[in-house]
Amino acid sequence: MSQFEEMQQAIIDGKAPVVKELTEQALRDGVKPAEFFPKAIVPAMNEVGRRMRDCEFFIPEVLIAARAARAATDILRPLLVGDEASRSAGTVVCCTVKGDLHDIGKNIVAMMLESAGFRIVDLGVDASPEKIVQAVQEHKANLVAMSALLTTTMVNMKAGIAALASAGLRDHVKIMVGGAPVTENWARSIGADGYGKDAPTAVDLARSLVAN
Amino acid sequence: MKGRERILATLDGQPADALPFMPITMMFAADHVGVKYLEYATDYRVQVDAQLRVAEDYDFDYVSVISDPACEAADCGASVKFFPDQPPALDEENALLADKGKLSTLKAPDPSSGGRMHNRLKALSLFKRRAGGDKSIEGWVEGPCAEAADLRGINALMTDFYDDPGFVSGLFEFVLELELAFGKAQIAAGAELIGIGDAAASLVGPKFYEELVWPYETRLVDGLRASGARTRLHICGNTRSILAGMGRLGCDIVDLDSLAPVSQGRREMGPRQVLLGNIDPVRALRNGTPESVYDAVAECHREACNRFIVGAGCEVPRDTPAANLRAMARYAREHGTAELQPKADSSRGLP
Ligand code: B1M
Repeated sequence: MSQFEEMQQAIIDGKAPVVKELTEQALRDGVKPAEFFPKAIVPAMNEVGRRMRDCEFFIPEVLIAARAARAATDILRPLLVGDEASRSAGTVVCCTVKGDLHDIGKNIVAMMLESAGFRIVDLGVDASPEKIVQAVQEHKANLVAMSALLTTTMVNMKAGIAALASAGLRDHVKIMVGGAPVTENWARSIGADGYGKDAPTAVDLARSLVAN
Repeated sequence: MKGRERILATLDGQPADALPFMPITMMFAADHVGVKYLEYATDYRVQVDAQLRVAEDYDFDYVSVISDPACEAADCGASVKFFPDQPPALDEENALLADKGKLSTLKAPDPSSGGRMHNRLKALSLFKRRAGGDKSIEGWVEGPCAEAADLRGINALMTDFYDDPGFVSGLFEFVLELELAFGKAQIAAGAELIGIGDAAASLVGPKFYEELVWPYETRLVDGLRASGARTRLHICGNTRSILAGMGRLGCDIVDLDSLAPVSQGRREMGPRQVLLGNIDPVRALRNGTPESVYDAVAECHREACNRFIVGAGCEVPRDTPAANLRAMARYAREHGTAELQPKADSSRGLP
């Protein structure tokens, strides 16, 4: 097994300490920080997403795998410099919207995005439109990812978009939404740029949104 | 038949003049009588009043004390956020057992010590005085996985399954003792049916469900049954991978949420399990029309065959049109049941 294959397996198995060790070893062997993403972390998390979709993985497996991926990204992110850092996909402000405390799905999406090379600013749950605006300004984010699990809080996605518009930021960020009750139609009706059905779709969507 | 008789007859495989109608209402009930949800969840008189009125106006066969997941955890000392018109919720960032070491010193609260659990007991006594005989009276406890998640924080608990299964078992032991005591106190106060809400169990997958969660759910169900109550299991979400185990618990009623097909529930739990559900609360019930709701219930009934109770997959959303809920009631009332083979008491594992 190659170094990268070994690392992929350790991520899929949720072995954070092993991933950390393998990352450090590979760096000592001269592997460039940016190489880890396409060769180990992204394929591993794609496999985790597939297993989740096919009901081979459930929440505990997904969370430990994401934590293992983070063991690598925590080491790698500060080492990405200049071109590599800016190429690192983009900065995403992630949150569960105002009034909503469900965060398992949002956490999985955030961790998958992070493994795909995005920089994550996680506002947690119950995030007000003002907080979103402030974070976008402060971190110069190019993407906002809002999650909602309640039909009663979905409307607060709309409020988030309106607040970004009144702050003059709407043209500077792409906005994606998701969560169990959210649909493609809903996303379109509130003026979001995209809807992610699940975490792997959210990653593909985020990539295509920042590319455009 | 009165609602209570209709439910008991159905659970015993006896003929009933209509299908029982047992939808879960919380925020819908509060809105129905025009009270803020905070009052509903914290003042038993308000809850009892709202439940009796919503049950009467929509022809439900039962009333319930279910309100939010934070009742027991609050009495354990967990930090709970209260909102004027939303269900109280646990403050997960400051979870009571954020430090696992605290479990060893945690004491199970006395259900009658004046807290939120006591409020629930008072609701049951009042129900008994005001509804006894007409409607079934349902108590409610959190299941082992749900209550453990409330105390530990659900995100942390999910990784504990891998990191520290011994801690998870220890926490489940604590919760079992707590919920058994609470359930028994509710039975003494007037509940004849106890609902067990174990939403977090739908997230863990079949391996951990069978190995770690199921053994505690079984002990809870057995303990409540031994104290004379009927039991109802309610696991929100996608339970497709754990349906067989849910059936083996021997609960009188198993609820199915809309993500778990009734046909699969029937197949995996056998012909004698009473199933309740499972139209999609939002897409079918709230967003549908009376006709589409009626048809959706008919489809559930067709898949469930006999031993079926009309209800939605989960809580009736607060802004559900009245006509849609009435369409469910109409379906229930138009469909009586014939005598069935009684459910043998020793049926666990042999559906
Ligand atoms: C930005 O781009 C994107 C892209 C994709 C995105 C995305 C963002 N966000 C998510 N995705 C997507 O990717 C993820 C991974 O593939 C997916 O994420 P999901 O979040 O959909 O999926 C997660 C990985 C797993 N799913 C979950 O985590 C949700 C599970 C269920 C069981 C659930 C849980 C666990 C909880 N709950 Co609540 N809860 C339920 C849920 C029933 C169910 N099984 O669906 C649901 C969501 N809850 C509900 C309710 C009503 C409530 N809950 C409440 C409370 C809770 C707990 C706190 C106990 C707990 C949450 C703890 C936490 N930290 O998250 C209350 C509200 C609290 C509040 N203000 O938020 C309360 C109101 C209950 C009450 N009466 O107290 C229902 C909502 C009904 C509705 N449609 O409005 C519910 C569907 C249950 C039901 N069947 O009725 C995709 O949707």
